[in-house]
Amino acid sequence: MSVSAKVSYFFRSAFQGMRHAPFVHFVAIVTLAVALFVVGLARGGSTLVEQLLKSLEGEVQMTLYLKAGAAPVDIQAAVAEVTREAGVLPRVVTPEEALARLAGELGEAGNVLRGVSDNPLPVTLELPIPREQRGLEALRGLSTRLGAVPSVTAVDYGEEAVERLSGIARVLKLLGGLALGVVFIATLVIVSATLQLAIYARREEVEIQKLVGATDRFVKAPFLIEGCIQGLLGALCALGGLWAFFFWTQPHLASVFSFLRLAHAGGSPLNGLLVVELLALGAALGLGGSFLAVGRFLKV
Amino acid sequence: MIQLFHVSKAYPGDPPVLQDINLNVEKGEFVFLTGPSGAGKTTLLKLIFCAESATRGQILVGGRNVARIRASSIPYLRRNIGVVFQDFKLLEHRTVADNVAFALDVLGVPRAEGQDRVRRMLKLVGLEHKAKSLPLKLSGGEQQRVVIARALVNDPTILLADEPTGNLDPARTLEIMDLLCEVNVRGTTVMVATHDSTVLSRYPKRTIRLEAGHVVLDEDGMQVARRMAAAP
Repeated sequence: MSVSAKVSYFFRSAFQGMRHAPFVHFVAIVTLAVALFVVGLARGGSTLVEQLLKSLEGEVQMTLYLKAGAAPVDIQAAVAEVTREAGVLPRVVTPEEALARLAGELGEAGNVLRGVSDNPLPVTLELPIPREQRGLEALRGLSTRLGAVPSVTAVDYGEEAVERLSGIARVLKLLGGLALGVVFIATLVIVSATLQLAIYARREEVEIQKLVGATDRFVKAPFLIEGCIQGLLGALCALGGLWAFFFWTQPHLASVFSFLRLAHAGGSPLNGLLVVELLALGAALGLGGSFLAVGRFLKV
Repeated sequence: MIQLFHVSKAYPGDPPVLQDINLNVEKGEFVFLTGPSGAGKTTLLKLIFCAESATRGQILVGGRNVARIRASSIPYLRRNIGVVFQDFKLLEHRTVADNVAFALDVLGVPRAEGQDRVRRMLKLVGLEHKAKSLPLKLSGGEQQRVVIARALVNDPTILLADEPTGNLDPARTLEIMDLLCEVNVRGTTVMVATHDSTVLSRYPKRTIRLEAGHVVLDEDGMQVARRMAAAP
């Protein structure tokens, strides 16, 4: 007896089975592809938001607004206090520098600022945030402490954007988990049902196999391989769809959220890990579905 | 080779199909199992290749007690038993050669070796030239010869045939019976269930007659030949 001959037979038989019932297998592959596309979309979206958060963290800087007309001695005291609290020396931005920066950012519209006789902008302290303090909770704590420093009237670190993106990331992760659960069960049922049809179409073959001395495992193996191949093909289709989706949508997202510097946030969400995850999940779903089908339908 | 001790078979709610059957078939013997429809011929064959289990009694096949065999061991027992059915049980979408090779795939015989064995077997049954044909393109007799080739390609020690000529005309019937006799001459124990009196009279072999689940006659070949000679 040759193991390689048996393995070769299993694969030949699996491919023959798929050729003889193409519609049934097509339905299973499409089901798997749609399910895995949804899972991939949730995972990819979550990755994208995480990348955005990371890119924001790279930019994190706290701006402390001092009271209008703060005296140099107050400014120096504030700088000293902030340095002690944050462990980082802030940069002092004078009202003149702030006004020039604003004019520059406004471009041609900045000309209107030339007519302003009194500079309304306060002295600000720009504080680069150390990496270990870039978490949302740490930022909140630091902001509260620095807000209590004398002469500081307001603290800004883009709290709203960071919190909103963190919320989106949490929701996407949750949805991804839920989608994974629902899709997992639904796909198992559908793949199992389609494979039951395939087994039914080949019941004569199974009967003859049993008569000539095939073991249970020998009869079942080609169906399990069929399920696995279905899963992998479904995963490949889903990956193709995801690649196309991200290829077309990412430039649009980058332009819509240009202020978040999406273009620099990282590569495509369809990374190597996601590819491996979807292929493994596809194979596992196909295998699981066929396992259910042969267990329930193929009483040998 | 095949021994049955007080074997009975009954299905719930029905009268017994077989009752207290005692048989001993020697290695290399050719045995006809005859009797009217419903006598229990097919059931007896099914008990031997474990398609059914006996309600009572012991069945030894090649020294193994079939009544106590584990389900996982049945496939290995069946590899020593070739089975031929009246309704052929051929795969329509596979060629003649593939149908015969099907039994070798189960054993994991390498493809090259398998092709060689299939060729030899098709030559034995006279269908070498039809290797690439599909079963539906063949006559009934040819289809039955393909089934016999499939049953024999594993070199089984026992060949069971259930009404192998039931669907065939007289000429094809003789072809198949001659083939089964040839197989027997090569050393395979052959057991044929048939109610075809023409076959029984033409081939004076041991004949076991079943009626209503009982063995009512067990004659060896000589006795059969004498009875035939004495018949008007």
